[in-house]
Amino acid sequence: MMSLLAALLCLACGFLLVCLGWPQLRPTFSDYLFIASLSVGVGLGVFSMVFFLSLLLDTARFLLVDFVVLALFLIAFFGMRIQRAAVSLVMPVEQISEMRTWYGRLVMTGFAIALGCALYAAAMRLWAYPHGDGWDAFSIWNLRARFLFLGGAHWRDGFTASLPWSHPDYPLLLPAAIAHFWVYLGHDAPAVPAVIGFLFTFSTVALLFAALSLFRGRTPAMLGAIALLATPSFIEQGTSQYADVPLSFFILASIALLCIHDGLAQSELARSDSPQEDRKQTARGPGLLALAGLAAGFAAWTKNEGLLFLCAMLLARLVTVARCGPLGRDWFSGVRQIAPLALAAVPALLLIAGFKHFIAPPGDLFSASASPLHKLLEPARYWAILQWYVKGFFRFGRWLLLPGSLLLVGYYFAAGKEKYAEPQAGIRMSSLALALTLAGYFAVYLVTPYDIFWHLRFSLTRLFLQLWPSSIFLFFLLVKWSEAKDSLAELRRNAPDHA
Amino acid sequence: MTYSKGTTASATFILCCLVSSARLLVDAPSASRLKNFPDKVGQRSDQRFAALKAVLPERGVVGYIGEPGAPALGDYYLTQYALAPLVVDHSANHSLVIGNFSNSIPSEPPPHLHLKKSFGEGVFLFATEATTQRTTSR
Repeated sequence: MMSLLAALLCLACGFLLVCLGWPQLRPTFSDYLFIASLSVGVGLGVFSMVFFLSLLLDTARFLLVDFVVLALFLIAFFGMRIQRAAVSLVMPVEQISEMRTWYGRLVMTGFAIALGCALYAAAMRLWAYPHGDGWDAFSIWNLRARFLFLGGAHWRDGFTASLPWSHPDYPLLLPAAIAHFWVYLGHDAPAVPAVIGFLFTFSTVALLFAALSLFRGRTPAMLGAIALLATPSFIEQGTSQYADVPLSFFILASIALLCIHDGLAQSELARSDSPQEDRKQTARGPGLLALAGLAAGFAAWTKNEGLLFLCAMLLARLVTVARCGPLGRDWFSGVRQIAPLALAAVPALLLIAGFKHFIAPPGDLFSASASPLHKLLEPARYWAILQWYVKGFFRFGRWLLLPGSLLLVGYYFAAGKEKYAEPQAGIRMSSLALALTLAGYFAVYLVTPYDIFWHLRFSLTRLFLQLWPSSIFLFFLLVKWSEAKDSLAELRRNAPDHA
Repeated sequence: MTYSKGTTASATFILCCLVSSARLLVDAPSASRLKNFPDKVGQRSDQRFAALKAVLPERGVVGYIGEPGAPALGDYYLTQYALAPLVVDHSANHSLVIGNFSNSIPSEPPPHLHLKKSFGEGVFLFATEATTQRTTSR
């Protein structure tokens, strides 16, 4: 009963917060699916932050705090709903009844098989490995959750420098969310981290499907979801209770929200002529930008790599707004394209800064006594990382026969590139953010205090996996889709019943 | 019937993806095996140290000695996982020290430690001489 209450509170907080930023509910399946899947991650992020703040403020009345937070979100939701003008979320999707054709059925069957296989494998893995599969699950994330939950007033004991192998400097989204649920249950049930891992895994798939469906329609969305569901390491890592899949969820959420915002703004700007109209129209979307910033903030609160992504995304946004005219015709509108994004990430950043400064011991990567700068001058290190990047590109998904990354490259050359009427600022910005994040990973490997080959061997595939759902999303926005639609039309014309 | 490049590419893409989905199925623990599938982490942590945890203080820091070598580090991590929120320091320089061995006590335990209690299956609790004397005098 208490676990149900906790789940409802968590989802309600996430749902209300997402609805606060979403311009308006449009009665389509894709909108609802996007909001629902985003609500899962946002709810868990809020639950995590609320729990950690309660610990910091030394209050043990978690139920009361949760209800107060929910009440605040409800007040804000109804207050803003009254004030907000009705906005139609019309994305450039050409709706055709693809599902009725043989091609549509093929895609749907493929999707159903991939989803069935992934669900079966995930369920079996959760049953077989209730404490997680792999060292990180119980030596980092679940261990930290136990310290937070079982430690009582002494919860800080877990952040001692005596346990450097448990990375006590890692952010706490997962451990604090798990501990929050344990408070409701009254004991440290291993089912909680297992269910959270499962939810993040399949919410990422649902988010990818919904985001692609909003932009390109159901069939490309299913293809994107198949690509993710058929990545064995994604399902395996997600159910191993590691933090890489939750991080990939927040990165995808942030990027998808930014693309939706920019797509919306561009389509509105194309319809408006006067600068006055421009200001009025673009002012409609700060909620989406704020949600994108919130998701990026949660990414930073999940793993240190998320902090790198947040910086990369803000930098990419700055560059794109400065360069792309349509999004920022003057200085004022340029600021409005960045401010909500940055401001929404501030709560998470403040929490991380407080945690790192006052509670956690120094991290392992930058605390070595010897200066890492001399490593930057060693060409052999660059070459080694480059080689591993290339190898990792083909191997990180643990695919069978053909790597999924190679499949996407092949698909791109076969189908071609989509020709948009205007440059797509959202796609550009997101691609730049991912490229900067990859470059950041590269720089960290350059200066790592560990043996570089050991470090690459045990982390690179997981780093690639963090960016994989977002890469699939951007890929299906870039790849040409009209070819398939043309063929559908042709098939319909050639069909016997059509004649 | 003609097929565009895009349609053919999509169909090929789906088929190739499903091959990897098959790998997920093959690698997943099978339902028939799950009935007897041991929860190795639970066995090596929570179950193994349940009796020891009952006699240890609820919080604080205790020491740890175990089998030598890097492969045995996993046993240490699992000990810490089982005994949290107690901090288990991989060092013998504490008043209470946990011994975690495959079966019996090593032939040469640290000289300043005395065996306080054996919990079976290679789990031991050691104490420094001063701690043992304090406990006895009480």
